[in-house]
Order: sequence, then structure tokens, then C-alpha cells
Amino acid sequence: MIATPPSRRRFLAGAGAASAAALLSGCVTSTSSPSGKGASGGPVTLQSNLSSPQAKAAMQKLVDAFDRRGGAKASLNTVASETFRTQLPTYLTSANPPDVLTWYPGSVADSYAKQNLLLDVSDLWTSGDLATYSDAQKKLCTDSAGKKVFVPASYYWWGVFYRKSNFAKWGVGEPKTWDEFLDLCDKLKARKIAPIGLGAGNGTTWVASSWFDYLNIRVNGARYHRDLLAGKHRFDDPEVRRVFDRWSEALPYFDPNGTALAFQDATTALLQGRTGMMLIGTFFADAAPKDALDDIDFFRFPIIDPKVPPAEEGPTDGYFASARTRHKDEVKELMRYMATAEAQETYLKGSSGTAIPVNPKAEDSGTPLVKKGRALIENASDITQFFNRDSSDALQPSADTALTHFLSKPKDIGSILTTWQRDAQKIWNR
Amino acid sequence: MALLTAPARRRRATRVPPVVLAFLLIPLLAEAFWVFWPAIQGFYLSLTDWNGVAPAKFVGLGNFREMFGDSVFRTALLDTVLWLVLFGGLSVVLGLGAALLLQQERRGVGFYRAALFLPVVFSLVATALVWQAMYQPDGLIDKALGGLGLGSWAHPWLADQNTALYAVIVPALWREIGYVMVLYLAGLKGIDPALYEAARVDGANRRQLFRHITLPQLSSVNAVVVSVVIIDSLRSFDVVWALTRGGPYHSSELLSTYMYSTAFQSLRLGYGSALAVVIFILAFGVIVSYLVRAFREAD
Repeated sequence: MIATPPSRRRFLAGAGAASAAALLSGCVTSTSSPSGKGASGGPVTLQSNLSSPQAKAAMQKLVDAFDRRGGAKASLNTVASETFRTQLPTYLTSANPPDVLTWYPGSVADSYAKQNLLLDVSDLWTSGDLATYSDAQKKLCTDSAGKKVFVPASYYWWGVFYRKSNFAKWGVGEPKTWDEFLDLCDKLKARKIAPIGLGAGNGTTWVASSWFDYLNIRVNGARYHRDLLAGKHRFDDPEVRRVFDRWSEALPYFDPNGTALAFQDATTALLQGRTGMMLIGTFFADAAPKDALDDIDFFRFPIIDPKVPPAEEGPTDGYFASARTRHKDEVKELMRYMATAEAQETYLKGSSGTAIPVNPKAEDSGTPLVKKGRALIENASDITQFFNRDSSDALQPSADTALTHFLSKPKDIGSILTTWQRDAQKIWNR
Repeated sequence: MALLTAPARRRRATRVPPVVLAFLLIPLLAEAFWVFWPAIQGFYLSLTDWNGVAPAKFVGLGNFREMFGDSVFRTALLDTVLWLVLFGGLSVVLGLGAALLLQQERRGVGFYRAALFLPVVFSLVATALVWQAMYQPDGLIDKALGGLGLGSWAHPWLADQNTALYAVIVPALWREIGYVMVLYLAGLKGIDPALYEAARVDGANRRQLFRHITLPQLSSVNAVVVSVVIIDSLRSFDVVWALTRGGPYHSSELLSTYMYSTAFQSLRLGYGSALAVVIFILAFGVIVSYLVRAFREAD
């Protein structure tokens, strides 16, 4: 009972001051200014979204190899991929961000570069390994202001995958054109096999976008596709309508469970011969049994209009660095290392091995499948990334909604496209 | 507290000992910093247009105006009301039923109580994964229907816009019933058996016992149960997100899933915050009006 009024008042004043300070400093939308400070101690932090056990271990090997060679040191921080995706803006805008992050080049990196959040690494590209990279990669890693902001490491490809033994059993071959493709579907359907597996259910709805991407690339071309995703065209334009007219031709051949199964389950159905083929990226091989992998082959998405030069989806993965990093020189040292053939081979050896290194001198895993995939991308007239990478993760849900709606009610396509345009407009206007 | 407010001690009560003050103020500060302050920021964000990267733009009530024209918001609101009625109503009715069935101490009753309560122990995401496997094409449910000769009913339950919402309610109910049952069991235990004896002496039948003794005696538990159920239905998110993510094309969208996808997928944090404010007002409004009524009746 020694409480006296003055001490209480002082206590309250102190508490009030403390909370006022918290109020002033903690505004969520405030953006602190870049520190821009040069070298300071500690390792370079590499924040990675490669959280699957195999890829995580491969990244650790890569970082260990970097540390062993002397000079700057790095430390790996792996974050669950979904958390990484939703938190990425927070990482980049925080006052003390991770130094280097795994992510995508192209429009996704550019949207951050426009906010001055990415480190300019143009000097890395003038000499050494990066100078030997293909022109397509150089373009992909350049932001709209002309600065290089990204270092690519590996890419994978999409194709229509099937089992060689099943195609032999059914007496069918790879189609080249859209008509041959529909013909093949007909033959499989006559054998009571669902010709086309999809895998756009149970949380992997985004897989359906691959069909939209490819049909749009084949019907309207890669340039139109990119412009559309950037908001320079409208989803309710007649060009987009033509994409869905083509899709409608193939729709009767889709597995009726296409929107009920996740892509992992859909690949199981493919490997078990319940579906005939499937448009999918090579990442599906991570979960496939090794003996089945030798029986897997793929063909290029069929040509619809021979006048449209064939572009392919070849999503590239790599690294960018925060503009607010406290140790620019070490960061660049790490990124220069990531671009070397040695680093990319180290990573690929540790991972599932279906990805292709970006460095032209780096060796891939050398399987016939990977050789064919590399040839597909190298001969492509243009490379697109994927729906979310060519636009933004924010636009992806609008596509998921529109495409699942179309898959179950193809007749509503008019209103679906109107809604899609309206939803997309809200994202573009942000 | 009762001691402090007692008339004889009123003079001393005005001078609060510093320890008590600290016990009050430190939690208040913690609460203010980690709960009230973010909440206030949420209100502020709901008046802005913010993509998480660029500086936020103040738009006044623009986000709330947008809601009026937003058909997905309407779907989500309707689904939330449907969820509140179906999930809330059924879990109260079935939970009370289960409690009445299992209140008597019979042999083996503990097993049934534990069995019904068990789903509450599981994390909802784990529950959702189990149910997802059951709902799969060729999953347990379709196989069972096929075994019963109802193969034509087999269905992609979660991928069909007509069944998705109901298919998601079932696992949520499966869990909530056990929880509500335990609350009611506790309430039933608290009823004085003398009341039932007296009523039986007066010749009351089972229905009259339930109507005139059990229900009125449970009114205080009801207040708790209804609040819990309303809060649980308005914050239902995990099970929906794990099973359908609000799809296919928004057919199982709740306000909570719509808020999440708007804020963290579409990165429209201003509009997402505005949706959160609406959820808050709904939950707060419903619960406060219910509690005020319940307490007024109790007085």
C-alpha cells in the first residue's frame, strides 16, 4: 500500500508514451527507406521457397559448395512455398529483408523492380557466365527500365505426356496438328479410355491455365498472350473467344474427374493407363515412381494455326536480390556463383533431375526425356513462362475461377469471359 | 472484486495498489499492442487501396461501395448465412441430442462420449484431408454408394458447384457436434435432480420434463453454445480452404475464404480488410444482440 497518486500518474504517463511510440512507429502501410549501406558482417541470407525435401537438400548442398570455395558466406533459409508466396511482398518491403530470394523473372520480377525493391545486377551480366546466356534469357531478366534484376538458374518445360507402352498397346502415335490430336482422342475414347487427364482439382486448379496458355499461344501467338496477361487486351475480346472455341472441340475428351483430382492424382491415373495423356510440366516426375519414368514420353502441344510460330512454355526459376541488402558485394558474389555451370549442375544432381540448367555450358541429367525437352525449348520461336508468371500471382485466381467454370459449363462462356475481364480489371487497377 | 466494492472498504478501493494496477495495465498494454492496434489498422486499411508493396491509397468508403456491386460478395454472404443456419443450427440440435442421449451413466457411455468428442481433438486441416480422400472420385463415399447399388449417385462431391458447400459443411459439423455435446453435458450435469423428482411427483411426462425443466435450466449454457457456434461459423475457414478453397468458381465461398483470397491471393489488401470489417460487424452484432437479450432474460 505504498501507492501514491503521483507515482501512478507517472506510470500512466510512461505507459501512454510507450503506446504512442508504438502507434507512431508501427503503421502497417509505411515503407521504410532503403538503407543503402555498403558492406557489413554476417553471411548473405538466401531465402528459398524450395521446400520439398529433395529440393531443400539440393539447395543446402549448393550453399555448402559456395561456402567451401572461400570468400563470402551464405546461409540458407527455407520457407514453405505457400508462405513464401504470400509473404514475399512483406519480405521485400521490410526494413531488414533477406538478401537473396528464389523467385521468377519476367513480369513478376518487373513488378517489384518498378517499386525499386530489387537490386540492379546489370554489371554481373556484362562478363563471365551470364554474358554467354541466350538472348531470350537476357530479355527475360531485364526489367522495364532496362536494368538486369534477375539471375536465372534452371527451367522446365510443359508438354503432353503419355506412357510409351500404352500408346504402343493402343496402336496410336504422337500427333503433330490439332486435327491429328482430336483424331487420337477419338481413338482412345473408342477404347473407353478418358483421352485427356487434367488434374485441376483439390488445390491445383492452376493446372487448367496450361490449357489456356497453350491454346492462346497456338491460336493468337505468344506476343498476344503476353499482352493479354499484361492488360493490353481484354478477356472478352473475340480473339480470346476463339481460344475457347478450340477448347470446346477437345472438351468432350477430357477426363470427367479433371476438376476433381489434384495433378498428383491425375498423373497416377495417367501412369495407370486410366487416362491417355496429360498436358503437364515436368515437375510431376518428382512424385512419379522411378520405373514408370523410363516409360514416359511427351509430344509438343499440337499446332493449330501453322502461320503462328510455335512458342513453348518454359518457366524459369532463379534468384533476385533485395535493393535494401546490407552487403551488396557479397550478394553479387553469390549470384555470380549461382550463374556458373558448376553451381547449376550441383543443384540439378541433388534435385529430381527433370529441370534444365540455364547456363549453356552446364550439363543436364542426360536422360532422353530431358534431351528432348531441352531441344523443344531451344527450338521454340518464343518462350512464355506460365499464366501467373507472365501476369502475376494476383491474376491467377481470376483464371482459376473462369476456367473451372468453363470446364463445367462451357455454354456460359460469354458471361464467364465478361466476369473474367471485370475481375482482371480490378487486379490491373490496383 | 466483491471485497473491493463492499461498502465498508469503499474508501480504500479508490486507491488501487500498484501490483493490481500492474496486473491490469500490463495485459491491457499487451492486448492493445497485439490485438487492438492491428484491429484499428485493419479498419484503416479497409478505407484504402493497397497491394502490399506500393504506398496505400486512401479511397474512403470506396471498398464498401464496391461490395454492393460484387456478385462474389453476395454469393459469399449468402453462403455464410446458409452456413450459419445449417452448420450452427444442426450442430446445436444434434449436439443437444447427443448430450441428452449420453447424459445417463450407463455402461459404455464413456466410449460413445469419447468417440463423439474425438474429432474435436483433431486439427481441422487433418480432418479435411481425411474427408478429401473420402470425397475423391473412387473414394470411400463413392465406393460405398456403388456397393449399395447407388453407383449412379457417385459424384465429384467437391468439384460440383451444387454439392461443394454441403460437402464441406459435413466435416465441419462432424467436429462441432462433439464440442457442443460436451458443453451441453456439463450443463445437464448442473441441473438439480430434485427438480425432476418434484416434476415427476406432479405427474409430468418426459416431454414436459424436457420442455419445462431441461430447456429453461440450460438457458445459461445456451448463451455460451450459441455464441460459440456463431463465432465458429463466422470464422470457419480452415476446413473450406483445405477442401475447396471456396471453389469451384466461388460456389462454396464464405466471407472468410473470400477475404483471404482477396487479401492474400489477389493482393487487394484494402478490399480484403473491408471484407474483414464486415465479418467483424456481423459477428459482433449477432453476438452482442444475442448476449444482451440472454442476460436481460436472466436478470
